[in-house]
Order: sequence, then C-alpha cells, then structure tokens
Amino acid sequence: MELIINLLINGLATGMLIFLLAAGLTLIFGLMDVLNFAHGGLFAWGAFSGVWFYGLTNSFTVAIIGAILTGIVLGFITEKLIITPVYGNHIQQILITLGFMIVLSEMLKVVFGPNQLAAKTPPLLSGSWEIGDVIIIKYRLFIIIVGLIVFGVFQFILKRTKIGLIVRAGVMNKEMVQALGINIKQVFLYVFMAGAALAALGGALMAPYSGVVYAEMGMEFAILAFIVVVIGGMGSFPGSLLAAILVGLAGSFMAYYVPALSLAVNMMLMAIVLIFRPQGLFTAKG
Amino acid sequence: MKTKFQVNNGILIVIVAALAVFPFVSDSRTWTILLTQIFIFSILAMSYDILLGYTGIVSFGHAMFFGMGAYATAIMLNRIEPTLGVFFLSIAVGMVIAGILSFLIGLLTLRLKSHFFAMLTMAVSGLFLVLAEKWRTLTQGNDGFTFRAPEFFKDRMMFYLLVLACLVLVYFFLRRFVNSPLGRVLIAVRENEQRTKSLGFQTLHYKVIASVIAGVVASLAGSLYAISLRFVNTSVLTMEITLDALLMTIIGGVGTLIGPIIGAGVIELAQHYLSGLAKDYPIFERWIIFFGIIYILAVIFFPKGIVGTIRYAYWKRKNNDLKVDVPAPKRKELIK
Amino acid sequence: MSILLKVDNIHTHIGQYHILQGVSFEAKEGEVSVLLGRNGAGKTTTLKTIMGLTPATSGTVTFLNEGITKNATHHIASNGIGYVPEDQGIFGALTVEENLKVAMRKEDDAARERQEYVLELFPDLKKYWKKEGGHLSGGQKQMLSMARAFINDSKLLLIDEPSKGLAPVVIEKVMEAIVEMKKQTTIILVEQNFIMASRIGDTYTLIDDGETVQSGQMSELVQNEELKRQYLGIG
Repeated sequence: MELIINLLINGLATGMLIFLLAAGLTLIFGLMDVLNFAHGGLFAWGAFSGVWFYGLTNSFTVAIIGAILTGIVLGFITEKLIITPVYGNHIQQILITLGFMIVLSEMLKVVFGPNQLAAKTPPLLSGSWEIGDVIIIKYRLFIIIVGLIVFGVFQFILKRTKIGLIVRAGVMNKEMVQALGINIKQVFLYVFMAGAALAALGGALMAPYSGVVYAEMGMEFAILAFIVVVIGGMGSFPGSLLAAILVGLAGSFMAYYVPALSLAVNMMLMAIVLIFRPQGLFTAKG
Repeated sequence: MKTKFQVNNGILIVIVAALAVFPFVSDSRTWTILLTQIFIFSILAMSYDILLGYTGIVSFGHAMFFGMGAYATAIMLNRIEPTLGVFFLSIAVGMVIAGILSFLIGLLTLRLKSHFFAMLTMAVSGLFLVLAEKWRTLTQGNDGFTFRAPEFFKDRMMFYLLVLACLVLVYFFLRRFVNSPLGRVLIAVRENEQRTKSLGFQTLHYKVIASVIAGVVASLAGSLYAISLRFVNTSVLTMEITLDALLMTIIGGVGTLIGPIIGAGVIELAQHYLSGLAKDYPIFERWIIFFGIIYILAVIFFPKGIVGTIRYAYWKRKNNDLKVDVPAPKRKELIK
Repeated sequence: MSILLKVDNIHTHIGQYHILQGVSFEAKEGEVSVLLGRNGAGKTTTLKTIMGLTPATSGTVTFLNEGITKNATHHIASNGIGYVPEDQGIFGALTVEENLKVAMRKEDDAARERQEYVLELFPDLKKYWKKEGGHLSGGQKQMLSMARAFINDSKLLLIDEPSKGLAPVVIEKVMEAIVEMKKQTTIILVEQNFIMASRIGDTYTLIDDGETVQSGQMSELVQNEELKRQYLGIG
C-alpha cells in the first residue's frame, strides 16, 4: 500500500512538471498554430536561472520569481525574433524553433558552464512526513500543490476573464477575432510569454526535485510534453493536465515494475492516440 | 516551375575525376579523412533532401536509419568476420532493415500533419536511442565498441575511392529518381498536397516511397560512417546526426541534391576549422551555437540555400521580362 | 447623402491567384448596397478585402475619407466596420453571452444600451443566453453574428449571404432585422437570393469574374431583364 501511494505521489509530481511544460505548448499551438520545438529550452533556462538565483539570494521565492521572469523575457524574445518572421509557414516554423532550441541549450553552457549544476531543496520543503507506514516527501507534495494552483489560476483566467475569452475564441477562429477589432498579434505575444513563464516555472521546480540541472534536460522533458500534448489534444488546457498526470503515473509505475518499458509505454500511448484519435482525447475547437 | 539551370554533367565529371586522383597526388592524411567524411555526410544529406526538399516532409528522426546502417555493419563485421563479403552483406542488411522500418513508420505516421510527423519521428528515434543504450549485449551502449575493418580498407585510399564511388552512384540514382514521373509527383505533393490528392494521386503512397528511399540511402551512409571510424556507439542515433543532415541540406539548398553535397562540405570544413580554433578561443568549443544562429538566419533570410539562390538568380536573369501573375481563369475565356 | 465607403479599382491576390481584377463601388450613408453576381465572382473576397483579411494588392479602399487599404483587420474593425462572414464565425464553445462579450470593445452604458437593442431585435438570443454557440440553429447563429457585429456602434456592416441555408420563415426574420438595423447604420450585403436583395437593397453592384460590371439603383436592375439574365441567370 505505501509503495503504491509513493509511486502515486511520484507520478503526480512528475506529471505536474510535465503539465507546466505542456500547458504552454498546447495553448501556443491551439491559438497560434505553432508547435514550439524550443519550448524545452525555456524549461531548461528556468531550471538553471532558478538554481542561479537561489545560490545568489538563498531564497527559494526569489529563485522561482527570477526563473519566471527569465521565462517571460525569453518568451518575448522568442516570439518577436523567431516566431513572428515565419508566421504561417509550418515547415519553416518547425525548422526554426528546433534551431532556436539548440541555440538556447548551447547558450546555457556558455552562461553557466558546460557541466551540470547541483540544485538544493530549500530547508522548509526538504524532509518528509510519516503518516503511519507512508512516507510523504514534502517537496513532491509541494510540486503537486503548485501544479494544481497554476491549473486553477489559468482555468479561471480562461473561463472568467475577457482576455481568457479572447484566447479561447482565438483558438476557435482567429480571423473572426480580428474582425471584431482585437489585435490578435498582441494576444499571441501575451500567450507566448505566459507559456514561456509556465515552462520556466516547471524547470525551476524540477531542479530541486532531480537534484541536478543540465542543458539536455530541456529536450528530454520536451519530448514528454509533446507526448502529453498529443494525448491530451492540441489546444486543450484541461486535456494537457489529465494527459500529463497519465504520462507521469505511467512513467512512475512502469519505472518500478517494468523499468525497460518505461519510455516505450508513453510512446505507445502516443502512437495509439495518433493513429486512432489524431485530434487527441480532448478537443479545444468548436 | 522547371529551371533551365541544371548542373552540367561535364563539370561534374571533371570534379569527380579531380577528387578521384586527389589521394594519389596528395599524401595529406587529414584531407583524405576529411573528404571521406564529407562524402559520407553528403550521402546522408542528399537522402534528407528527398524528404525535406522534394516531398516537403520534416523528419526529426533521420538518425534512426543512419544508426541502423552503422550498427548493422559494425555488429556483423565484429561478430562474423571482417571481410569484404560480410561488409557488403551488412550494407544490404542495414538497408533492408532501414527500408522495412521506414516503410512501417511512414505508413503509420505520414498521414499526420507536418507538426505531428516531426514530433513523432523525434520521439520514435528517441526510443531507438534508448533501446540501443539499454541493449548493451548487442551495442555496448554509450561506450560502444571498436571492430576490425576488412583488410581491403587498411589502405585509407581504397576506402576513400569506395565512398566517392558510392556518392556518385547515389547522386545519379537520386537525380534519376527525382526527375522520374514519380519524383514529379513528390514535388507536386510538396507544392500542394491537397491538390495532388484531388488529381487522384494517393499521396500517402508516394510519401511512403520517398521515406523508404531516404531511409535506405541514410542507412548506406551509416554503414560507411561506421567503417570510417572502425568504432560505433549510440551517438550515431542521436539528434545531432539528424541536425547535421538538416543543416547541410538547408545551407546547401533544399530540393537541389547538389546543394546538400555543398552543404556537407561547408559544414564539415567549418566544423573542422572552428573546433581547431577552440584551442585558442574557448568560445569556439561551443561552435554549434554559430551553426544554430546561421541556421536560424538561413531559414528566415536564405531559405533557398546556396545552390537554390544561385539557381534562382540565374533563372530570374533569363526570365527578366516574364510577368509572374497567374490570373484566375475567366469564364469568358473558358467558353472560348 | 455622403459616401461612407469607396472601393476604387481593387485587385486582390490569394496565393498566386489573381481573384479581384478591378472592383469599384460606393456605399452611401444609411443605404443598403447589395453586391450581386454568380458563385465565385468575387463578392466574398471583396468583403474580405474591405476587412483587410485578404488585403488588396492594388487599388484603394476609403472609409470615412480615410484610406484603409493597408490597415490591419483589427484597426479596420475598431474604426467602425462590423463583419458578418458567410459561415457566421460563431465561437462554438462560447455561450451566446460570451460571444457578445468578446465582441464588445468598450463595456460602457452605450454598449449596454446597444446590447439591449439587439436583444429586442433578436429575442431568441436572450432565450438562449447561456447556450453554447455551436448548439444554436443556423438562423440563431446568423442573428448572433449580426448582433455581434452591431454591438460596437459599427457605422458600416458587411453581411455575407445571410439567407444561405435558412428556411424561408427564418429568412423573413433576418430580413426584417436588416431593415431595422438599416435605421441606425449603413449596410453592404452580399446576397444570392435576388428577391430578398431587391426588396431591401437601395443600390446594386454587379460583379463578374472579379470585376465590377455595373452599378446603379436597385429599381433600375429590377427592370433590366437583359442584365439579370446574363449575370444572375434569372428573368
């Protein structure tokens, strides 16, 4: 029983981190029709800058805020420099965002050095609780809570605010949103920056969880996020949460019971979804 | 639109002849090795051009087929015996496996939109990389293993000539292929898949054929690559290989075949010199950043690549007064 | 009456195709101008070009004495042109209320007053206030789309084939609404249904093969059997 609860918590925590990455990816895709292959780079930058700010100030709050700001700034740069010039051309988009992914991860090595960095868990969140036989690691619970809060906040924005309505309307019909007098390019930029901020937050939370940060982590997690976005349905925000939890749990249980299959399971999930339900389990449009 | 500018066969023969006699007149080992490397990556980049340039498919999993060839050759030479016969057999085995694999993957994934396809190929090839890392009894994972090449290749020159011959053969084969009626359909798919479909072509079939040919040729490049190093590890399956092919194709010029060869030359030479510079200037250890930036700029400002841009300039000069304006057909004209 | 919108010899390319090859007409304030022509003649593209969705490659569009040919769509819309596309452009997963809310640029008293007005005009919308746009009937979607375009004090409404696919009873309702809206705004209407067009149109512009063939008063066209037979296939 305790094993199952531990695997559950592990899976949920990983799922939440993937969700933070996938949420931006899915919103950006749904609204702008852009699949951002550089998204994992923003995640890795969040992780590194989080570690850096933490080392500098010794405050985890500052580290998180610093990482989010880094994400927002990088998101702004990416949208203006990389996405806008090739807007509407799918092949160029795919090629250029992948290229930017490489630049982002190499720049990490230039700025922070080529080696991996150790990441500490803040004292308040380290350690664990014992409830009967079950040991709950505090930091993992923290990640789950943060993930749920982020989901709640974004869900509220999407459902209840004007900008959220505009974003949802834009996912359904971009032309019509413009014809109603809304500058959709401005909305694109905001959504892109918000997505980048979420990715960076995910990275910053990931750092103490895995204990180290390294440049390649962006790509590794991006692949999981792609799988999640496909399973959850491109452009569906709740879909990405459910799919991320599914992928996180599948990974955690498989890693324990059938370690050799842990990655293959997610791949198989994605392949099955793509072949039989290419629009994903949830759809955002119409 | 058909361009009048075609690479002149005469010039090609002269260049190939010059390259063929090169190792006899120069005894620079470095250059022989470097040129061999360029030829091998030219083959890989050309195979990528069939996908990206001629069919308009972006695959992020091309390394998978390259790695398949490399492992087929390395494992067979290591396990059976290092002879020429086994070498050729291993090339064939690699090609067959790559062909079957690309056929299956293509059949399952090529009906998807470009985004999904790129993503899926990336994930599948990631899966193969993990598989190779885990299946240590066969591959020895990231550590890799060395093996003995056939006696015949002890002389680097022989290998050089073999690779050059492969390059020339592959080039003519692919050129023949893209100019065939089948290749024309592929170009139509690239230009407008929907319309090609409505003309009655099963575009999926054509895309699968393109992906099989690209996979098989990439496997050949992988086999040659393994021999050139006499060593193989999981790096042959990594994203870096796909990126190299991508970069060479884009810089050289997509959809030109000769472009990727030039691209391979440019990239390999630049890589050679830039990593040489790293001894004095540490920033060049991160030379891949420069490639990344050049690549991004190329995608935005220079999407035709070196050869494409030259061809376009040539074509434009010849058709200076040609007005490029296609009026929608008028009913009155149709009635006439 | 003053000229509100003037379209002067516009040419529009979509991809490599030259779709509009010289369309010109004027819309006078307070009138309903109807664009007529066969399928594929370029009527919808003309509206999209005015809206900036498929910008003209040459020629000019002037609105309120100001050139708007190269303006971005959202500028054109906020300058006071409302658009009701052929497919109505309803946001299917948003409710009627939310569809109107997205459209409302300023939520002031004037806007609320206009909202009251459109809800009186289309009582169905009030009835299905919380219903998702995708679940409305064709006629209700048409009304919602018109209400959405009207809610922002639009000086000009572009309405693309409002009668398409609707039952005759519903067409009658939509027509009544257009006549009612005409009291407050100017309308450019694309309409295949000549009976409807001739009843509510003040002026007409005939478009064929992407070119203006003729413009004039609707009453003249009703008399001109030759023109109707040649370009509209009726009469």
